[in-house]
Amino acid sequence: MTEPTRVRLVLPQVADAELLAARAVQEIGVRLGFARDTLEEVKLAVVEACLNALEHGSGKVEVEVVGHPNGEGSRLEVLVTDHGPGFDLDKVPVPYLEAKLHGNRKRGWGLELMRHLMDRVDVVSEPGFTQVRLLKRRGGQ
Amino acid sequence: METFELRPVESDGSLAILEVTGYINNEGGEAISREACRLLDQGVRSLLIDLQATRIINSIGISLLLEVLERTLDLGGTLGFCCLSPSIAKTFQIMGLAQYARLFPDRTTALSELRRRS
Repeated sequence: MTEPTRVRLVLPQVADAELLAARAVQEIGVRLGFARDTLEEVKLAVVEACLNALEHGSGKVEVEVVGHPNGEGSRLEVLVTDHGPGFDLDKVPVPYLEAKLHGNRKRGWGLELMRHLMDRVDVVSEPGFTQVRLLKRRGGQ
Repeated sequence: METFELRPVESDGSLAILEVTGYINNEGGEAISREACRLLDQGVRSLLIDLQATRIINSIGISLLLEVLERTLDLGGTLGFCCLSPSIAKTFQIMGLAQYARLFPDRTTALSELRRRS
């Protein structure tokens, strides 16, 4: 097993900044031999994590993409950190389409999508520091 | 593939197709919503959104597509999507979108089905 590959980014305050993180995922994922479709799922999840951080955080949003090479067992790990007020994960409601269709608020899918698209999602949040850790194995679901 | 473009490519009265290219973010979603509402106001009741050239979407864009879906259903119409990338298809499946919208593998199948029903 060789050393992990790391890319660290501070997202600029520009339109579609989240796509910079997606590009880093693409670059490292290809080096690890991830399938295109798997990488696109990771990119969707990373875009959601970045959007949440850009929207709810304050100050800079940091993204670290780490490729852990290990043949078929290779892993992509993405850490998205913001310095906003934080949130209580237990209070984030699970979205239901029927309710969304008839309600005023159609948003609120980000965390749910991340959980289904990635193999693992961990969130650490307290005032001034929120970090979302996303993990996908090369042969993951 | 990330620059957004929207092109209405066909409309025969009650059925219309919107061809989407690139990243569906807030601006892309708003553009789709505006055009869809215009078509629905003109009497379109079967609306097909072709995502052949779209590989990435975010949840803000999705929420705007839900507004289009709600509007279409309120008018008794049908909203269809075709040519979804596997990751977007999985996203729609996670949301349960197939309960309310029609998902088709390709445009030919979609048009055949939507014309048969309209």
